Amino acid sequence: MKIEYSLILAIALAGPLVLSFSKELTIYRSARRLLLSVALPLPVFLAWDMIVTARGHWSFNSSYVIGVYVGNLPLEEVLFFVVIPFCAIFTWESVKYFLREKR
Amino acid sequence: MKEYTLLAVLGAVAAVALDLLLRTYLVRQLRFWIFWGVMGFMTFIINGYLTWRPIVEYGESFCLGVRIFTIPVEDFLFGFALITSNIVLWEYFTRRFCVPERPGQAGSKR
Repeated sequence: MKIEYSLILAIALAGPLVLSFSKELTIYRSARRLLLSVALPLPVFLAWDMIVTARGHWSFNSSYVIGVYVGNLPLEEVLFFVVIPFCAIFTWESVKYFLREKR
Repeated sequence: MKEYTLLAVLGAVAAVALDLLLRTYLVRQLRFWIFWGVMGFMTFIINGYLTWRPIVEYGESFCLGVRIFTIPVEDFLFGFALITSNIVLWEYFTRRFCVPERPGQAGSKR
């Protein structure tokens, strides 16, 4: 399935995205905080990914990506560096929330 | 040393260095490692699927060839480098842009 990589990202994102609007969390308190935390590492990891993809560290199976490329990376791979950090931030805030409640 | 192995180790070290440099000191906090327990499990599902299918295929000459399930060990360090940088920056900007939720919580009032 060409949409398989996109589907994985969508499945990963769905829960965190919905639950991130919970009033118990403060994820959207500052837009700057959210944007900068996701955006600052992005160029470093994209450059890393593009360089090593060109060198042959890894490759993307064309059967499972929609076929839109940013340089030598499938669009899905670029979105990975936005989706996964967001899921991580959500998870981090949830862990902090649950540990705080137990005190 | 294999190229991906070296880069992955350097990436993970750089992320820890960022934590110390920005004085967020997450690596000293138990909750950060509990968070990694959860993220490690998520990595297994997402990265596990990507490498099992495989949606991403690896050049064996660039990594050790040691895999946990179908995931090259280097991928865990790559993920650690990415996510730790995000969380370090998140905590750094929380301190700068957000009032702490409760007095005595991490972060200073300003």
